[in-house]
Amino acid sequence: MKILRASSLLLLATPLAALAQAAAAPPKLNVIAISMFLVFVAVSLGITVWAAFRTKNTSDFLAAGGRISGFQNGLAITGDWCSSAALMGIAALIYTTGFDGLIYSVVPFGAWPLMMFLMADRLRNLGKYTIADIVSLRFDRVQIRTLVAVSSLVFVIGYLIVQLVGAGTLISNLFGLPYATAEMIIGVLIVLYVAFGGMIATTYVQLVKAVLLLSGASFITFAVLARFNWSPDALYAAAASIHPSKEAVMQPGGLLPDPISAISCGIMLLFGGAAMPHVLMRFFTVPNAREARKSVFYAASFIGYFYLLTFVIGYGAIAFVMKDPRFLDANGAIIGGPNMAAIHLSEAMGGDYFLGYIAAVAFATIVAVVAGLTIAGASAISHDLYANVFRHGKATDREVVKVSRIAAVVIGVIGIVLGIAFKDQNIAYMIVIPFTVSSSVFFPLLFLSMYWRGLTTTGAVVGGSVALVMGIVLLVLGPTMWKEILGHAEAIFPYKYPALFTITTSFLTMIIVSKLDTSDRAKREIAEFDDQFVRSQTGLGAEEAAQH
Amino acid sequence: MKHIYQKIKEDPRFRELESKRRNFTWLMVGIMLANDFWYICATAFYPEHGYARFWGTPIGEGYATTWGIVIGFLQTILFIVLVGVYIYRANNEFDTLKDAIVADARRAAGEKP
Repeated sequence: MKILRASSLLLLATPLAALAQAAAAPPKLNVIAISMFLVFVAVSLGITVWAAFRTKNTSDFLAAGGRISGFQNGLAITGDWCSSAALMGIAALIYTTGFDGLIYSVVPFGAWPLMMFLMADRLRNLGKYTIADIVSLRFDRVQIRTLVAVSSLVFVIGYLIVQLVGAGTLISNLFGLPYATAEMIIGVLIVLYVAFGGMIATTYVQLVKAVLLLSGASFITFAVLARFNWSPDALYAAAASIHPSKEAVMQPGGLLPDPISAISCGIMLLFGGAAMPHVLMRFFTVPNAREARKSVFYAASFIGYFYLLTFVIGYGAIAFVMKDPRFLDANGAIIGGPNMAAIHLSEAMGGDYFLGYIAAVAFATIVAVVAGLTIAGASAISHDLYANVFRHGKATDREVVKVSRIAAVVIGVIGIVLGIAFKDQNIAYMIVIPFTVSSSVFFPLLFLSMYWRGLTTTGAVVGGSVALVMGIVLLVLGPTMWKEILGHAEAIFPYKYPALFTITTSFLTMIIVSKLDTSDRAKREIAEFDDQFVRSQTGLGAEEAAQH
Repeated sequence: MKHIYQKIKEDPRFRELESKRRNFTWLMVGIMLANDFWYICATAFYPEHGYARFWGTPIGEGYATTWGIVIGFLQTILFIVLVGVYIYRANNEFDTLKDAIVADARRAAGEKP
């Protein structure tokens, strides 16, 4: 309780302090950070030009022609997975609540073994460009693709808003640029990367960014440990003596209000993480299932290594930022909010140049993740909705690429407009939207269609739609939206994370409706499972799909 | 393609591959889920139950590090190892068997393997 009270006091103090500060001194231009970011922009635009010349057809545009190696793809997936939330968000949570912040490291990392064991081979063997390909093999193309494409767009837009609003705030803090300018820069870069360079450019931009992020995080970690004579225990002792909640900072229980919320949040992170469309579509950029497995192995190693670093970075922020007057305002609250903890820590460890480097990496991270999301959204529009739903598979290659490029521009513009509209809103809760969608719609759908012969189109579409609608409704009626944002006295749905309920409903609805479906179409779909199963195990038929 | 699928389905080695792979996959999924849920439940039920309270106890007299930190760290390493073990077996044993089955099915169906 003590922790809660202390932190709510801090929260009350922060906006006032921030206002006072904003009035006193406009953020000054950070020249080092800006020049380092410009180097990244120059390199990534170079990559885009090179990629644009290699992008000739749909396969190049949406799947990099299937020519990416397992190692490269592993790094690129690391880039997609580790958004700025992974660096700054986890550090911020540990900074405020201690041990429970690590739930965002260890629990979602379980998604990687899960993807390796259940998904990687079969996805590569069954799919072509998007996750909708897998389910449309034996189910009704129009219905199932519409469901998956609409859910993908909800996922992409929800995730985009979180990234873009976070980015605008961060960039105006770090670089001293106005918020709207920051949004514009990101938007223009994304549209350039995706619309011209497609998946090839996106992959290499992710790759560069992953290397930058991993080296930056490693440097912070080793610098922190070096100051404690390489003893993590000394670091934890220092953190426990500085943090207001003392030893409790090393114990579970500070973050999530009740067991149901904790379990719901945990399974949302785990199953949601294992079924994110922008990550899964990367499995189609490698030539075969063997390389897909390798990419998961490399990705899991890099991401696991990154998460191990968060065990040090979060507590390092407590040890070096919480008592340093350079990073605190007049009331003793951290300047820029807890999200800046990792950034301040990098300044404390490496001075202005390293701060500039980390600021540039944070910017690059956001740009790269947004590019990955944009191409996932563009593929849902061009390959799923346009080519397969509206044109019934009769669209030419040139048309699909053209629609993909237009879709990328449109998504970029929507992203910027929403990013500016949501300025100064508390958007952290919005990350729950994409995770609820992927855990309750994509995971059950992919899992049942690949592992259960009994799934039918009707079951899949009814179950998926129910889960999608239920997820959004429960989020609106939940404490964050209904109580804190809309200002009602009590939330109608008591939990912040509806995933526990929506995942269960999704699986049950899909199974029950499929069982009740005795139509001829259902019988045909069930009979087709055997061939699909052989293909998913052997990859036979997938080679043909990859050659266009 | 249909007739090759048919040949594969008739091959007893395919059944063998399928059951080996299935048992192995679910064993790995089980280990992984047990660990992840242990972590989730420790956070959810701390400090009411004994297994959760243990997470907040220091690893020894005079240490600030708690068991929770050690377990979380080891779990992360365990997950990387699980992924490594899986890929080792899949890329060697399973893939070799699979390639043989596919080649034979192609030959039997009158295609060059």
